[in-house]
Amino acid sequence: MGSPLKKIMLCSSEKEIFSVEEQVMVQHSVIINNMIEDGSYNYEESKIPLDCVDSKTLKKVIDYCTYHTHHHNDNQEDLEAWDAQFLNVDSNGLYDLLMAANYLEIRNLLDLIYRTIKNMIKGKKIDEIRRILNIKDHGFTPEEEEQNRKEYPHFY
Amino acid sequence: MEEKKNQNDKSKSIHDILPLDLIQRILLRVRVKHLGRLKCVSKLWHSLISDPDFAELHFHRSPASTNACISIGKRPKAYSVYLDALFSDGNDTLQVREVSPPFDMTRSADVKVLGSCRGFVLFDRHPCLLVVWNPLTGSKKLISYSHILSRCKHQDFSRPSKFHLYGFGYDASQDDYLVVVAWQDMDDHDHFDGFSLRTNSWIDFDAALPNPLFGFDRNSFGLFLNDAIHWAQFSPKVYKDAILIFDLKERTFSRISAPEQLVMFSRGYSGLALLGGCLALYYRDFNSCSTHIWVMKEYKVHSSWTLYQVPCKVFQPLCFSSNGDIIGRDYTKRGGLAFYYHNHALYTESLLPLPSDIKDEDNNNNNKKKEKVHQVHHECFEQLDVAKGSKQRKRIRSQTQIT
Repeated sequence: MGSPLKKIMLCSSEKEIFSVEEQVMVQHSVIINNMIEDGSYNYEESKIPLDCVDSKTLKKVIDYCTYHTHHHNDNQEDLEAWDAQFLNVDSNGLYDLLMAANYLEIRNLLDLIYRTIKNMIKGKKIDEIRRILNIKDHGFTPEEEEQNRKEYPHFY
Repeated sequence: MEEKKNQNDKSKSIHDILPLDLIQRILLRVRVKHLGRLKCVSKLWHSLISDPDFAELHFHRSPASTNACISIGKRPKAYSVYLDALFSDGNDTLQVREVSPPFDMTRSADVKVLGSCRGFVLFDRHPCLLVVWNPLTGSKKLISYSHILSRCKHQDFSRPSKFHLYGFGYDASQDDYLVVVAWQDMDDHDHFDGFSLRTNSWIDFDAALPNPLFGFDRNSFGLFLNDAIHWAQFSPKVYKDAILIFDLKERTFSRISAPEQLVMFSRGYSGLALLGGCLALYYRDFNSCSTHIWVMKEYKVHSSWTLYQVPCKVFQPLCFSSNGDIIGRDYTKRGGLAFYYHNHALYTESLLPLPSDIKDEDNNNNNKKKEKVHQVHHECFEQLDVAKGSKQRKRIRSQTQIT
């Protein structure tokens, strides 16, 4: 493990470079941890290219990892409140974060986002879920859709 | 122009952005009872949720037990109840729904609920039909046992019934469900037969039968746990070896012995239950007028037997609630007479198909089974004898443990 203040460079899809404490990313991202451990990261020259993560999302991801590294001893309630505030973004922002967390394998962030999306649709009617998730083309034929609505009117 | 592009971006659907495996992982977190509804969200979700592999994944990652209970009332109608939800306050989800088993329900006396395995419930329907049915998906299999009944010593359907042992379980090594029955022929010879749902045929397991078998009342229904079916024995002769086990993979019998204290003091078991995934032997304690429940906290670890006491004379434990209470049924007021009615069974809801469904699906893609959900009113609580605060059933905080 490197010293806590060692920095690594992450490069977003817009080629913007972010310098982050190594420890912060190593603790959260399985992928970056592996890169550091197997020595494939060169501190002098390397930057880790994250071609599918834009700057806005990468900044959020780094915020998350940094906060959780430095506040992991906080009580659960405070952390949950911070997480809720952190994920107070529109659905596209949420999907982008999910993709980034998946790419970097940040398990606790993944869990948090899955849970959040699950809660967004919990107990909702079908029409509401479609609106929340922006599903315009549900893919059912008009006949199938009509059949479903007829059979399960209380779902809609 | 730029602004318009942004707006298009904004209206992107979850389908355009997220790959299927991530959508699947979200759906894996949704409780199984909500998934039927989510199938209507889109064709994509419909196919994700209908996939047998998804059903398997979901079954393994969902919490140990959803504590659903299927129950047949006198009217006769069948209901599925979420026992946990029934006892937790402020829960607005639908806790009781009427379900329609795939057979004639005109006379409730013609039907017995025998138990469950992986979301499927097993029924015995008079005169000679075993029915395996998933109440959530409607997936079903009807099994005739007329060839056994014609040779069977006990042909009556009333209690005690024709078979000594019933069992229903899953053999993961063959991806097969087995229904087993032990019975006596006219010459008092013991037999043990199993029906394989994968091969759709009866198998003769006579050779596996332990000797002597029948320390059992007739009508003893087995519980499926850890790839094996378990029955409690009642005869004093085999009292020490309280639990008989049939391993579905090895197709052999073995036994688990009862806790020493229980062997020394009690007069008879009332039965066997599964509490939080653990075997539990329970019986009426005549001295304290309570029910003693011995839970084997670690499977086949004798030292893990732990005693709970419930202050009811005749009590049948059903499950642990999410906060560790024992939920059960109190028969004291009925003098314990209804104790052996097989009109309910606990099950863990699943979307799992039967082996025959997957074949059907290959042959005929449109042959989708549809879940029927009916909202029912509180009157059905009465049917079930399960009502919050009711005197019939009690929720009892487990008493101090004595070991």
